[in-house]
Amino acid sequence: MTRWLGFAILAVLLIGAPFVLSFSQQEIAVFLVINVLIVCSYRLLTLTGEWSLGHFVIVGVGGYASALLSKPTWLPPETAAALGGGLPVPLAMLAGGCVAALVAFVLSFPLFRLKGFYFLIGSFAAGEVIRLLWKKFRDPFGGPKGLKSVEGFPDIQLGDISLPMWDATNYYYLCLIVVGVSLWILYRIERSRIGLTFHALHWQDKLAESVGVNAWRYRMLAFVIASFFAGIAGALMAHYLGTVNPNMFDVEPMVFVLIWVIVGGTATFYGPILGVVTLTVLNEIVLRELGVADQMRHLIYGLLLILAVLFLPKGLESGVERLRARFRRREEGDNRAAQPDAA
Amino acid sequence: MAGRFYRKGLSRRSFMGTTAAGMALAATAAPRSTLAADDTVKIGFLAPLTGEVAAWGAPGLFGCEIWAERVNAAGGIKAGNKTYKVEIVSYDNEYAPDKARAGAQKLINDDGVKFIMMLGGDTMPPVVQVANRAKMLVSTLLPSDLTPDTPYLIAPCEVHPIYNVTGVDWLAANKPELKTAMICAQDDALGRPSVATYLAAFEATGIEVLDDPLFFDISTTDFAPVMTALLAKNPDILCLDTCYSDYVHPLAEQAYLQGYKGQIISCTADFYDQMIEKTSKEFMDGVVFQFPDFDDPALNEPQINFNDPNGFFAEYNKRWPGEWGAVSWEYASIMDLWKAAAERAASVEPMDVLVTMKSGGTGKHAFGEARWWGKELFGIDNALVGDWPVVVIEDGKAVIKEYRSIPAWWDKHKDLMIKHFEAMGEMYYQRA
Repeated sequence: MTRWLGFAILAVLLIGAPFVLSFSQQEIAVFLVINVLIVCSYRLLTLTGEWSLGHFVIVGVGGYASALLSKPTWLPPETAAALGGGLPVPLAMLAGGCVAALVAFVLSFPLFRLKGFYFLIGSFAAGEVIRLLWKKFRDPFGGPKGLKSVEGFPDIQLGDISLPMWDATNYYYLCLIVVGVSLWILYRIERSRIGLTFHALHWQDKLAESVGVNAWRYRMLAFVIASFFAGIAGALMAHYLGTVNPNMFDVEPMVFVLIWVIVGGTATFYGPILGVVTLTVLNEIVLRELGVADQMRHLIYGLLLILAVLFLPKGLESGVERLRARFRRREEGDNRAAQPDAA
Repeated sequence: MAGRFYRKGLSRRSFMGTTAAGMALAATAAPRSTLAADDTVKIGFLAPLTGEVAAWGAPGLFGCEIWAERVNAAGGIKAGNKTYKVEIVSYDNEYAPDKARAGAQKLINDDGVKFIMMLGGDTMPPVVQVANRAKMLVSTLLPSDLTPDTPYLIAPCEVHPIYNVTGVDWLAANKPELKTAMICAQDDALGRPSVATYLAAFEATGIEVLDDPLFFDISTTDFAPVMTALLAKNPDILCLDTCYSDYVHPLAEQAYLQGYKGQIISCTADFYDQMIEKTSKEFMDGVVFQFPDFDDPALNEPQINFNDPNGFFAEYNKRWPGEWGAVSWEYASIMDLWKAAAERAASVEPMDVLVTMKSGGTGKHAFGEARWWGKELFGIDNALVGDWPVVVIEDGKAVIKEYRSIPAWWDKHKDLMIKHFEAMGEMYYQRA
């Protein structure tokens, strides 16, 4: 009952958010929702015990693929015309996710020969190779400047009402739906037998293998699923911004993903969400609204990160868990006090 | 003493470090909203103030703040029967498209600015979407952002990289013995069109480029092999294109260490005093670039439209010693142009200012009368182009040698420029 009440309150908050946010905060909310999908998809990979430094490049793969499939300027004009001038954007987004998953599948073969830190370094190298390919091949990737004039998401017609998707509020709701469905799927995967196997590989991989689990195949599966949703996030980003370029997917945003996930924690499904929401609101809304100078903003942000890691080494989620435990103890105490005879 | 300490070995990173405290003061101590709201016109400054490209944003904001103080002290802007004080509202876009979009929304819809100044480049596409819908006047320092789809975007100051032709032209006229060149640049949105420009300029003057331009990745940190490859061809001219100062400095240092004795030409030589410290006064003597110090007497010539350049330079250096760079004056000069247009239009509304600014097809550029141009190269006449200074380092100091006309060069050699722009895929119809 409490749980459903919590979900209802969360839904009301999420749906009502654009009405209380300023224009720029609505923009931040759009990217925050997309980033939620990025960190949750990343967490799925970390369930198997492997941490990647190439996840944000995979986000870019989805963005590039979706942009190129929706506007195939790279094809000869006759061919593009014969194909109907590209996929509709919603289909291109799905295809972007699929291409990201496909790239992850191919990368699995060399990368999952590595483990731990070696996998981390290998994934970074693989990501850099992809980024260099985008830079090197101006056709079709646009070279260092990337792709501009990426097709926007088409306006949605609801009877007589047209919902323009360049509008931050409308796009926020679109992202909310896409990310909501994606999170539900990711959650179901984690709770399924496959998800339990991912956990088993993390904590007892030799034991899991001894009972017949194909570790390579399950790690690859986690990587492919995580990459599919990362690709969807990239597509959402590309069609909103109208541009993708290699610099958007370099190591810096990847470091932010790591920070969000580490500060939030990976033990629970909501840990990374807590991390990305808290840190984004702090950095992009609170500190900016306080008028803190930009250099100082980064300084304070860094300081808070250090404090978070020092005092909540298991992530913000551990703080929530502590609060819940305290709440539970108090509830039990109240129950005991209310029923003295039972004791 | 402290100033000297900080100036030593000032890299872009340390530059940002030294400005941190200043930025804090600027943003927290400066009177953000102390002016009467009704009589204040807000101008947006949407540029990278932190991160790798901050050196082309933050110094411009410092310059704008000085500009605004001087204009306000002189009574403000008289537009129609109203007088406005100016308030610069900044947003650090960190050179990221998503933050640029959020910043544009904030400046336009939350703050109600009437004009936005930007560096441009990667951050421009999402801002154009927002600005086009809001009919907001936006300026860029990179005219390669201009396309027929950007009617409210103007490049009223820096017509990068076209003005680089003036340096090559001057070199050919004054040092005719220089016959060969080698070019290097970072492989990005600034480097490539600039290379196309230098190739056209060298071809126009009959200077042979000995090999394909050497493009290095923006993550390059070791410039020894880059310089070795360039010097292997034994060029008379070493062209450093439009490299960021983090690249220009080590490239010059490597050229010095590897014994290069020839001519250097570069688009910028920001913090050239540090380059001299890293090499020698003799080595840097004669380096040609395009961005003057504003204490140069040549800036007091009658055709110059920048208000009190020497006083501006002195004030800037008093507040931010050792941080004068290419963009320190540029955004302020854009504000000069905007102010003049707003006063003529008797309005601060973006479209009124734009129409007035472009009326007659000419405008008062910082370096003299200029014309609105760019249709053939950018698909739209939204770049203000006229004369540009050729600057040479002499005895450790940047000196304006001459103002040369960009339109005159264009009228003679535009086919070459278009040829090389097309070869680099930089024409507006190739920038899909």
